[in-house]
Amino acid sequence: MSEHTPHNHPDFRCRELFARMSEYLDNELDGSLCREIEGHLNECQACKVCLSTLKRTVALCREAGAAPIPETLSRRLRELIATLAKP
Amino acid sequence: MSEPTRYPIKSDPDAELVRAARADQAAAFPELVKRYERALYNFGLKMCGVASDAEDLVQDTFLNVYRYLDGFRNETKFKNWVYRIAASICIKKRRKSKFAPDRELSLDEFLPTDETAVEGDVPAWAALPLDRVLNDELRRKLQEAILALPEKYRVVLVLRDVEGFSTEESAQILNLTPANVKVRLHRARLFLRDHLKSYFDNV
Repeated sequence: MSEHTPHNHPDFRCRELFARMSEYLDNELDGSLCREIEGHLNECQACKVCLSTLKRTVALCREAGAAPIPETLSRRLRELIATLAKP
Repeated sequence: MSEPTRYPIKSDPDAELVRAARADQAAAFPELVKRYERALYNFGLKMCGVASDAEDLVQDTFLNVYRYLDGFRNETKFKNWVYRIAASICIKKRRKSKFAPDRELSLDEFLPTDETAVEGDVPAWAALPLDRVLNDELRRKLQEAILALPEKYRVVLVLRDVEGFSTEESAQILNLTPANVKVRLHRARLFLRDHLKSYFDNV
Protein backbone atom coordinates (compact mmCIF):
# COMPACT_ATOMS: atom_id res chain seq x y z
CA MET A 1 0.00 0.00 0.00
CA SER A 2 1.60 3.23 -1.04
CA GLU A 3 1.83 6.24 1.22
CA HIS A 4 -0.21 9.15 -0.04
CA THR A 5 -1.64 12.34 1.26
CA PRO A 6 -5.38 12.78 1.68
CA HIS A 7 -6.49 13.07 -1.23
CA ASN A 8 -8.51 13.07 -4.35
CA HIS A 9 -8.51 9.31 -4.54
CA PRO A 10 -5.64 9.12 -6.97
CA ASP A 11 -4.24 6.09 -5.24
CA PHE A 12 -5.12 2.79 -6.85
CA ARG A 13 -6.09 1.18 -3.54
CA CYS A 14 -8.40 4.08 -2.69
CA ARG A 15 -10.19 3.80 -6.02
CA GLU A 16 -10.52 0.06 -5.70
CA LEU A 17 -11.88 0.36 -2.19
CA PHE A 18 -14.22 3.14 -3.26
CA ALA A 19 -15.67 0.82 -5.91
CA ARG A 20 -16.13 -2.11 -3.52
CA MET A 21 -17.04 -0.37 -0.28
CA SER A 22 -20.64 -1.63 -0.28
CA GLU A 23 -19.54 -5.21 -0.84
CA TYR A 24 -17.13 -4.79 2.06
CA LEU A 25 -19.91 -3.44 4.30
CA ASP A 26 -22.18 -6.29 3.25
CA ASN A 27 -19.54 -8.96 3.98
CA GLU A 28 -19.59 -10.02 0.35
CA LEU A 29 -15.82 -10.00 -0.22
CA ASP A 30 -13.42 -12.84 0.41
CA GLY A 31 -11.20 -12.85 3.46
CA SER A 32 -7.93 -11.85 1.80
CA LEU A 33 -9.50 -8.81 0.12
CA CYS A 34 -11.14 -7.83 3.41
CA ARG A 35 -7.80 -7.97 5.20
CA GLU A 36 -6.20 -5.90 2.46
CA ILE A 37 -8.95 -3.31 2.74
CA GLU A 38 -8.65 -3.20 6.52
CA GLY A 39 -4.93 -2.62 6.15
CA HIS A 40 -5.64 0.26 3.81
CA LEU A 41 -8.27 1.74 6.14
CA ASN A 42 -5.69 1.85 8.93
CA GLU A 43 -3.49 4.02 6.74
CA CYS A 44 -5.98 6.16 4.88
CA GLN A 45 -8.15 8.53 6.90
CA ALA A 46 -10.07 9.72 3.83
CA CYS A 47 -11.23 6.19 2.99
CA LYS A 48 -12.07 5.62 6.65
CA VAL A 49 -14.34 8.68 6.65
CA CYS A 50 -15.85 7.63 3.34
CA LEU A 51 -16.62 4.16 4.71
CA SER A 52 -18.08 5.54 7.97
CA THR A 53 -20.48 7.87 6.18
CA LEU A 54 -21.54 5.16 3.75
CA LYS A 55 -22.11 2.75 6.63
CA ARG A 56 -24.23 5.35 8.44
CA THR A 57 -26.23 5.99 5.26
CA VAL A 58 -27.13 2.29 5.09
CA ALA A 59 -27.99 2.23 8.81
CA LEU A 60 -30.29 5.24 8.40
CA CYS A 61 -32.15 3.51 5.57
CA ARG A 62 -32.59 0.39 7.68
CA GLU A 63 -33.70 2.24 10.80
CA ALA A 64 -35.88 4.98 9.31
CA GLY A 65 -39.01 3.00 10.21
CA ALA A 66 -42.23 2.17 8.45
CA ALA A 67 -45.45 4.14 8.16
CA PRO A 68 -48.66 2.57 9.46
CA ILE A 69 -51.07 1.40 6.81
CA PRO A 70 -54.08 3.73 6.37
CA GLU A 71 -57.29 2.16 7.69
CA THR A 72 -59.00 3.18 4.42
CA LEU A 73 -56.57 0.98 2.49
CA SER A 74 -57.07 -2.02 4.78
CA ARG A 75 -60.82 -1.65 4.35
CA ARG A 76 -60.47 -1.30 0.57
CA LEU A 77 -58.44 -4.51 0.45
CA ARG A 78 -60.94 -6.43 2.56
CA GLU A 79 -63.76 -5.29 0.27
CA LEU A 80 -61.76 -6.23 -2.80
CA ILE A 81 -61.12 -9.73 -1.51
CA ALA A 82 -64.77 -10.16 -0.58
CA THR A 83 -65.76 -9.17 -4.12
CA LEU A 84 -63.21 -11.52 -5.69
CA ALA A 85 -64.28 -14.40 -3.47
CA LYS A 86 -67.93 -14.18 -4.52
CA PRO A 87 -68.88 -17.19 -6.66
CA MET B 1 -31.47 -13.46 -14.33
CA SER B 2 -30.17 -16.73 -13.01
CA GLU B 3 -32.33 -19.79 -13.49
CA PRO B 4 -34.97 -20.17 -10.79
CA THR B 5 -34.35 -22.79 -8.16
CA ARG B 6 -35.81 -26.08 -9.36
CA TYR B 7 -37.05 -27.39 -6.07
CA PRO B 8 -39.57 -25.80 -3.76
CA ILE B 9 -38.11 -23.61 -1.02
CA LYS B 10 -38.44 -25.64 2.16
CA SER B 11 -38.08 -22.83 4.68
CA ASP B 12 -40.80 -20.52 3.48
CA PRO B 13 -42.67 -19.19 6.55
CA ASP B 14 -45.72 -18.57 4.35
CA ALA B 15 -45.87 -22.06 2.83
CA GLU B 16 -48.69 -23.35 5.00
CA LEU B 17 -50.81 -20.26 4.57
CA VAL B 18 -50.25 -20.29 0.82
CA ARG B 19 -51.42 -23.92 0.72
CA ALA B 20 -54.50 -22.96 2.72
CA ALA B 21 -55.21 -20.01 0.41
CA ARG B 22 -54.95 -22.27 -2.62
CA ALA B 23 -57.48 -24.63 -1.09
CA ASP B 24 -59.87 -21.91 0.06
CA GLN B 25 -58.96 -18.39 -1.01
CA ALA B 26 -61.92 -16.76 0.72
CA ALA B 27 -60.85 -18.18 4.08
CA ALA B 28 -57.06 -17.80 3.98
CA PHE B 29 -56.31 -14.99 1.55
CA PRO B 30 -57.22 -12.19 4.00
CA GLU B 31 -54.48 -13.46 6.31
CA LEU B 32 -51.94 -13.29 3.49
CA VAL B 33 -53.04 -9.72 2.84
CA LYS B 34 -52.73 -8.83 6.50
CA ARG B 35 -49.22 -10.27 6.53
CA TYR B 36 -47.94 -8.11 3.70
CA GLU B 37 -50.18 -5.05 3.34
CA ARG B 38 -48.08 -2.77 5.52
CA ALA B 39 -44.76 -3.84 4.04
CA LEU B 40 -46.06 -3.40 0.51
CA TYR B 41 -47.58 -0.02 1.36
CA ASN B 42 -44.20 1.18 2.64
CA PHE B 43 -42.47 -0.27 -0.41
CA GLY B 44 -44.94 1.73 -2.52
CA LEU B 45 -44.33 4.91 -0.53
CA LYS B 46 -40.59 4.59 -1.02
CA MET B 47 -41.00 3.84 -4.72
CA CYS B 48 -43.76 6.32 -5.62
CA GLY B 49 -43.57 8.97 -2.90
CA VAL B 50 -47.33 9.54 -3.03
CA ALA B 51 -49.72 7.77 -0.68
CA SER B 52 -52.47 7.28 -3.29
CA ASP B 53 -49.99 5.68 -5.73
CA ALA B 54 -48.69 3.44 -2.94
CA GLU B 55 -52.27 2.38 -2.15
CA ASP B 56 -52.91 1.56 -5.82
CA LEU B 57 -49.72 -0.45 -5.91
CA VAL B 58 -50.80 -2.52 -2.90
CA GLN B 59 -54.23 -3.17 -4.40
CA ASP B 60 -52.85 -4.11 -7.84
CA THR B 61 -50.26 -6.38 -6.27
CA PHE B 62 -52.83 -8.32 -4.23
CA LEU B 63 -55.14 -8.54 -7.24
CA ASN B 64 -52.34 -10.22 -9.17
CA VAL B 65 -51.39 -12.44 -6.26
CA TYR B 66 -55.01 -13.55 -6.01
CA ARG B 67 -55.29 -14.25 -9.72
CA TYR B 68 -52.00 -16.07 -10.12
CA LEU B 69 -51.65 -17.86 -6.78
CA ASP B 70 -52.36 -21.21 -8.42
CA GLY B 71 -49.43 -20.61 -10.74
CA PHE B 72 -47.01 -19.97 -7.86
CA ARG B 73 -44.76 -23.03 -7.82
CA ASN B 74 -42.79 -22.41 -4.62
CA GLU B 75 -39.65 -21.88 -6.70
CA THR B 76 -38.92 -18.93 -4.48
CA LYS B 77 -40.26 -17.71 -1.15
CA PHE B 78 -43.82 -16.44 -1.37
CA LYS B 79 -42.67 -13.05 -0.06
CA ASN B 80 -40.11 -12.74 -2.87
CA TRP B 81 -42.77 -13.66 -5.42
CA VAL B 82 -45.09 -10.97 -4.02
CA TYR B 83 -42.34 -8.35 -4.25
CA ARG B 84 -41.54 -9.49 -7.76
CA ILE B 85 -45.12 -8.70 -8.71
CA ALA B 86 -45.03 -5.36 -6.89
CA ALA B 87 -41.71 -4.32 -8.46
CA SER B 88 -42.94 -5.30 -11.88
CA ILE B 89 -46.09 -3.17 -11.41
CA CYS B 90 -43.90 -0.23 -10.34
CA ILE B 91 -41.73 -0.57 -13.40
CA LYS B 92 -44.72 -0.89 -15.74
CA LYS B 93 -46.32 2.18 -14.23
CA ARG B 94 -43.14 4.15 -14.51
CA ARG B 95 -43.87 7.72 -15.19
CA LYS B 96 -41.48 10.46 -16.04
CA SER B 97 -40.85 12.13 -12.75
CA LYS B 98 -39.52 15.62 -12.32
CA PHE B 99 -37.78 14.38 -9.19
CA ALA B 100 -36.10 11.38 -10.71
CA PRO B 101 -35.23 11.59 -14.38
CA ASP B 102 -33.98 8.28 -15.71
CA ARG B 103 -30.20 8.40 -15.97
CA GLU B 104 -27.13 6.34 -15.30
CA LEU B 105 -25.15 7.01 -12.15
CA SER B 106 -21.42 6.62 -12.63
CA LEU B 107 -18.95 5.86 -9.87
CA ASP B 108 -16.77 8.79 -10.89
CA GLU B 109 -19.42 11.36 -10.07
CA PHE B 110 -19.19 10.36 -6.41
CA LEU B 111 -15.41 10.50 -6.09
CA PRO B 112 -14.22 13.57 -4.23
CA THR B 113 -12.87 15.92 -6.88
CA ASP B 114 -10.35 17.81 -4.82
CA GLU B 115 -8.74 17.72 -1.44
CA THR B 116 -11.15 20.24 0.04
CA ALA B 117 -13.98 17.80 -0.65
CA VAL B 118 -12.34 15.18 1.52
CA GLU B 119 -13.20 15.29 5.21
CA GLY B 120 -10.44 14.77 7.72
CA ASP B 121 -12.61 13.42 10.53
CA VAL B 122 -15.68 11.26 10.67
CA PRO B 123 -18.54 13.81 10.75
CA ALA B 124 -20.88 13.91 13.74
CA TRP B 125 -23.82 12.51 11.74
CA ALA B 126 -21.84 9.34 11.13
CA ALA B 127 -20.16 9.19 14.54
CA LEU B 128 -22.97 9.92 17.02
CA PRO B 129 -25.30 7.12 18.17
CA LEU B 130 -27.98 6.52 15.55
CA ASP B 131 -30.88 7.55 17.82
CA ARG B 132 -29.29 10.96 18.37
CA VAL B 133 -29.12 11.57 14.63
CA LEU B 134 -32.36 10.08 13.31
CA ASN B 135 -35.30 12.47 13.65
CA ASP B 136 -38.39 13.30 11.60
CA GLU B 137 -36.64 15.94 9.53
CA LEU B 138 -33.87 13.53 8.62
CA ARG B 139 -36.46 10.88 7.74
CA ARG B 140 -38.03 13.38 5.34
CA LYS B 141 -34.65 14.25 3.81
CA LEU B 142 -33.87 10.58 3.42
CA GLN B 143 -37.19 9.94 1.71
CA GLU B 144 -36.57 12.91 -0.64
CA ALA B 145 -33.15 11.55 -1.51
CA ILE B 146 -34.53 8.07 -2.18
CA LEU B 147 -37.18 9.56 -4.47
CA ALA B 148 -34.52 11.57 -6.29
CA LEU B 149 -32.73 8.35 -7.26
CA PRO B 150 -33.34 7.15 -10.81
CA GLU B 151 -35.86 4.33 -10.56
CA LYS B 152 -33.59 1.43 -11.46
CA TYR B 153 -31.26 2.37 -8.60
CA ARG B 154 -34.10 3.24 -6.23
CA VAL B 155 -35.77 -0.14 -6.49
CA VAL B 156 -32.51 -1.94 -5.70
CA LEU B 157 -31.78 0.29 -2.72
CA VAL B 158 -35.30 -0.11 -1.33
CA LEU B 159 -35.23 -3.89 -1.66
CA ARG B 160 -31.75 -4.26 -0.15
CA ASP B 161 -31.47 -1.52 2.46
CA VAL B 162 -35.07 -0.83 3.43
CA GLU B 163 -36.82 -4.17 2.94
CA GLY B 164 -33.78 -6.23 3.87
CA PHE B 165 -33.65 -8.66 0.94
CA SER B 166 -30.30 -10.28 0.18
CA THR B 167 -28.37 -9.58 -3.01
CA GLU B 168 -29.50 -12.92 -4.47
CA GLU B 169 -33.13 -12.37 -3.53
CA SER B 170 -33.12 -8.85 -4.98
CA ALA B 171 -31.57 -10.19 -8.18
CA GLN B 172 -34.30 -12.80 -8.42
CA ILE B 173 -37.07 -10.28 -7.72
CA LEU B 174 -35.77 -7.84 -10.33
CA ASN B 175 -34.59 -10.36 -12.91
CA LEU B 176 -31.02 -9.04 -12.69
CA THR B 177 -27.68 -10.68 -12.05
CA PRO B 178 -26.32 -10.40 -8.49
CA ALA B 179 -23.37 -8.44 -9.89
CA ASN B 180 -25.74 -5.92 -11.42
CA VAL B 181 -27.59 -5.57 -8.11
CA LYS B 182 -24.30 -4.88 -6.33
CA VAL B 183 -23.26 -2.20 -8.82
CA ARG B 184 -26.62 -0.42 -8.67
CA LEU B 185 -26.81 -0.67 -4.88
CA HIS B 186 -23.38 0.84 -4.38
CA ARG B 187 -24.11 3.80 -6.66
CA ALA B 188 -27.48 4.35 -5.01
CA ARG B 189 -25.87 4.37 -1.56
CA LEU B 190 -23.20 6.84 -2.70
CA PHE B 191 -25.94 9.05 -4.14
CA LEU B 192 -27.81 9.03 -0.82
CA ARG B 193 -24.61 9.59 1.13
CA ASP B 194 -23.87 12.71 -0.93
CA HIS B 195 -27.41 14.00 -0.29
CA LEU B 196 -27.11 13.40 3.43
CA LYS B 197 -23.66 15.00 3.51
CA SER B 198 -25.01 18.11 1.78
CA TYR B 199 -27.92 18.23 4.21
CA PHE B 200 -25.68 18.00 7.28
CA ASP B 201 -23.17 20.48 5.84
CA ASN B 202 -25.99 23.03 5.73
CA VAL B 203 -27.74 22.28 9.02
